[in-house]
Amino acid sequence: MSQSVAERVKEVVARQLRVPIEQVTEEARFVEDLGAESIQSLELVAAFEEEFDIEMDEEEALQVKTVGGAIEYISRKLQEEGR
Amino acid sequence: MKVLIYEDETYENFYPLTYLRASWELRCGAFSLRQRIEHLFPAEQVGLWARDILVPVLRRRYPDKPVNDLKALEGDDLLLVNGRALLTGPMDVDGVLKSGEELVCALIPKEKVSGCSGLEDLLETAESLPSEQRDIKVARYLWDLISENPKFIELDFKFFGPKVLGKLHPSVVVYGPEDKVYIGEGAEIHPYVVIDTRNGPVIVDRGTEVHPFTRIEGPSYIGPNCTLLGAKIREGCSFGPVCRIGGEVEESIVQGYSNKYHDGFLGHAYVGEWVNLGALTTNSDLKNDYSTVQVYLKGKLVDTGELKVGSFIGDHTKTSIGTLLNTGTTIGIMCNIVGVGALPPKYVPPFSLFVNGKITKGLGFKALLETARTSMSRRKIELSTEEEHLLRAIYEATKEERREAVKKYR
Repeated sequence: MSQSVAERVKEVVARQLRVPIEQVTEEARFVEDLGAESIQSLELVAAFEEEFDIEMDEEEALQVKTVGGAIEYISRKLQEEGR
Repeated sequence: MKVLIYEDETYENFYPLTYLRASWELRCGAFSLRQRIEHLFPAEQVGLWARDILVPVLRRRYPDKPVNDLKALEGDDLLLVNGRALLTGPMDVDGVLKSGEELVCALIPKEKVSGCSGLEDLLETAESLPSEQRDIKVARYLWDLISENPKFIELDFKFFGPKVLGKLHPSVVVYGPEDKVYIGEGAEIHPYVVIDTRNGPVIVDRGTEVHPFTRIEGPSYIGPNCTLLGAKIREGCSFGPVCRIGGEVEESIVQGYSNKYHDGFLGHAYVGEWVNLGALTTNSDLKNDYSTVQVYLKGKLVDTGELKVGSFIGDHTKTSIGTLLNTGTTIGIMCNIVGVGALPPKYVPPFSLFVNGKITKGLGFKALLETARTSMSRRKIELSTEEEHLLRAIYEATKEERREAVKKYR
């Protein structure tokens, strides 16, 4: 069975920010809880684009502050594209 | 006689420096190409012509000159001057002068001017008139301006002359002929500075401060209100106004309002305005195998035919500490280069952020605009609405090439 969007988002976050996957909860905030520096946030956006083959607006994407927010944002993007 | 200085279709050859300015605003010697043409052809009225997208910005920048307004130039013969022409002295023009296929200038009789509705008509009219060949260099690429720069500083020295209007500390050493030094009003040369005029003149324009242990080799032009901080300025450098320069710089042009405060080497480079080069930023200008340098131009690698070509860095671009740039690298406007650990690619599209060996789309247009506003306000200059619109238009127009680069280098 293929992985859910949420699982894939969490894996990307854990890999990019080098944190244990169990810390990557939906409530976790990228900066305060997972220690994402500004440059890592940009890399995270690039990694999401690559993982989901989507185009993210940089300003919109950087407004997303939590893992749950990213799941929601990416799910919406995929839905818009009918995927 | 009235004069019209025009930009033609080759402006893309001068990217990234011409994204925000006309090609006749580029520098060579002690002046911009426009300023030199105006010095050589004093006329009661000088008009300017450039591509449409620049017109609002240029009208604000040159409020006393008609921009893309032929009506304002009617009623007199019109001297049409190619803004890329590198003119070495005054000339009597009574017809059309060409250098190979390139039009250098053309005197269009007033009765023909009134029949023209734009630059295209004027150029067609010029083509229909008998022409004469002249051996005049017409710049085709940015590296032409860099290679011609030393010669033009020498030529431009006559507009300044040997004069010391500012303060020259008694311990300053002029190594070479003393009549090849110009120190402008309000400029100050601190103790233990060496001005080496053996190979050409040194022009230090008004209000500039040269700090101790700086060495300036001629021919070099240091523009108004600059600061040199213990710098090693090798021959053939031209800096526009309000630059802060340290480290080693050789045969390079900085348009103005840019900082290269710290150590690091810049050679055979052309740097735009509002650029900040972080400490130790260094560009290569010579390949290890001494072959000619290739650069990206309109998406394709072009052989410059030159052995020494450094970097072309667009306006508002910032580099991190320790950034290393490969020979012949082009970095677009408003880029952020975190060049630690990996060389950026030889072409970085405008508004990109390079970090950890990857190109990303960066923080978005709003954030870049905010940074530009902040850096300009530090010099008490405001980003105009016209400039903001131009930046936004270029941001939109370059989205696709940024998307491609992000895919290629992620």
